[in-house]
Amino acid sequence: MNPSVSQPCPGGCATCSEYNGCVTCKPRFFFFLERIGIRQTGVCLTSCPSGYYGKRFPEPNACTKCKADCEACFNNNFCTKCKNGFYLHLGKCLENCPEWLEPNNYTMECNDIVH
Amino acid sequence: MLAAAAGPRMAKPSPWWLFLSFSATLKIVSMEQGAVPTCPPQCHCEEDGIMLSVDCSELALTSVPDSLSSFTAYLDLSMNNISELIPGDFHHLRFLEELRLSGNQLSKIPGEVFSGLYNLKILMLQNNQLSRIPAEALCDLPNLQSLRLDANLISVVPEKSFEGMPSLRHLWLDDNALTEIPVKALNNLPALQAMTLALNQIWHIPDYAFQNLTSLVVLHLHNNQIQSLGIQGFEGLHSLETLDLNYNELVEFPVAIRTLSQLQELGFHNNNVKAIPEKAFAGNPLLQIMTLTRAGIHLLPGEMCQQLPSLRVLELSHNQIEELPSFHRCQKLEEISLQHNRIHEIRADTFRQLTALRSIDLSWNFIQTIHPEAFVTLHSLIKLDLTDNQLVTLPLSGLSALTHLKLKGNPALSESFPKENFPKMRVLEVPYAYQCCAYGACGNFFKVSNQWDSEDMSPEDEDAHKRSSGLFPSHPDNHYDMDMEDFQLEMEDTKLHPNIQCTPSPGPFKPCDHLFE
Repeated sequence: MNPSVSQPCPGGCATCSEYNGCVTCKPRFFFFLERIGIRQTGVCLTSCPSGYYGKRFPEPNACTKCKADCEACFNNNFCTKCKNGFYLHLGKCLENCPEWLEPNNYTMECNDIVH
Repeated sequence: MLAAAAGPRMAKPSPWWLFLSFSATLKIVSMEQGAVPTCPPQCHCEEDGIMLSVDCSELALTSVPDSLSSFTAYLDLSMNNISELIPGDFHHLRFLEELRLSGNQLSKIPGEVFSGLYNLKILMLQNNQLSRIPAEALCDLPNLQSLRLDANLISVVPEKSFEGMPSLRHLWLDDNALTEIPVKALNNLPALQAMTLALNQIWHIPDYAFQNLTSLVVLHLHNNQIQSLGIQGFEGLHSLETLDLNYNELVEFPVAIRTLSQLQELGFHNNNVKAIPEKAFAGNPLLQIMTLTRAGIHLLPGEMCQQLPSLRVLELSHNQIEELPSFHRCQKLEEISLQHNRIHEIRADTFRQLTALRSIDLSWNFIQTIHPEAFVTLHSLIKLDLTDNQLVTLPLSGLSALTHLKLKGNPALSESFPKENFPKMRVLEVPYAYQCCAYGACGNFFKVSNQWDSEDMSPEDEDAHKRSSGLFPSHPDNHYDMDMEDFQLEMEDTKLHPNIQCTPSPGPFKPCDHLFE
């Protein structure tokens, strides 16, 4: 229960306020600032939303943006799912597959060429 | 939709065969229960063609809803109070691709609970109470690509934990209670590309610890207690590009990295190695980013740049380095951070011919002399920080492209800095206010930007200020995004009359001290 709020804080929140949502998170949760219009609300998550990733540290953790062409990532250098129009290969989002690989337009990945 | 692994390829199903099996499955499923997919009470469902995305998160559920449609492709049960899974909870969900069970109270998972989920690609079990990997439950997930087991209490990894997932690409085991590398269990992951074992209590990396992980590109081992590393510790990691060993207790530089021929980024800050041996990077010609902050380093190898032709960013701050080698052969170097060391001299050859070098941070050292030709060949240099050294004079040749120059904390540096020498200057910090007079009348023409009003900042705050440009504290690993200065610079370029921020700005309370001495 947070003194500054009438209802209890949502799951994962350590402290929260009526207008800002979560202000701090419990350990092992990721802090994320949700933007709805001009309003920003803090939330505490077990996994970061699409386009963000969470890297765990001893101190409070926060969601960090993936690269621009990446929809889901492991860290800022390794993508796990590319945005539309890009092929995924070993963590990279490519506009075209290298010539030694074969583009798979169903999975949107670059696969080894099967002879 | 995620799909088959780029690693060992499965036989390529012909489109005709795919259509037949899909419609056969469809017939079975729709016969089993009414044609229209139902949404469990309180949950939120969205249809995607005939498939269903079901969100039952944060509903204080204590068990898996039993009215889940067979057409469910995405199921989110995270942040509930589920402490037990019953075999059969998911057995009819043949189309399920993503299952989220994070943020519940699962301490164990029965053997068959995930059986039949042949299309499952993403399984999230983080933030639960598991003390061991539920190997029996994971034994038959042929298409699983991402498995999250982070933020549990796992201290036991059975040997067969990953045998049933030949397509696994991404594995999170960070923030658990592992005391050793689960070598045997990791022997069965030919398609694994990214893994984190960070935030555990691992103290040693044995030889051949990762020998079968030939597709691994990213390996995070930060925040453990690693004290020693076998010379063949990284043998087999032929594809590894990123290795994060930050925040460990290594007392010797890991020569094991020599086998990492594809390594591009090495994080090694907050260890205690004293010296980097000669030929330490002999096997890493592609290394681009190296972070060796607070690593206890006294000595750098003289020939290190011979082995690092691709190096772009070198972070060596907060060590005990007294003497610098020549970085001459690091031809692609763009940023070098040497703040908070014990350097007392910059020679002519220290930075010679580094034509791509844009930023040098030498703040908080004991530099007394800089050779007149030290910066002559640095045509791209725009940022030079010499805050808090022991300079008497500063050689200006080669510095004409500077936009940021910081010289505060050099009490003996009383010479003036003619404007003509710095046609592109934006941010100038000098020891004395009168040195700012050269940049306009000694009135208030200068806009004092709060960003660089660092007189009250302690060195620690200044570092933190440099790193954190967002609402919440970012971590050293994030400081390669565009930082506040670049953003400020871009804002400045769009203005008609760009100001030069020179501090301390002269004024009634900052008289020309030097004139009265």
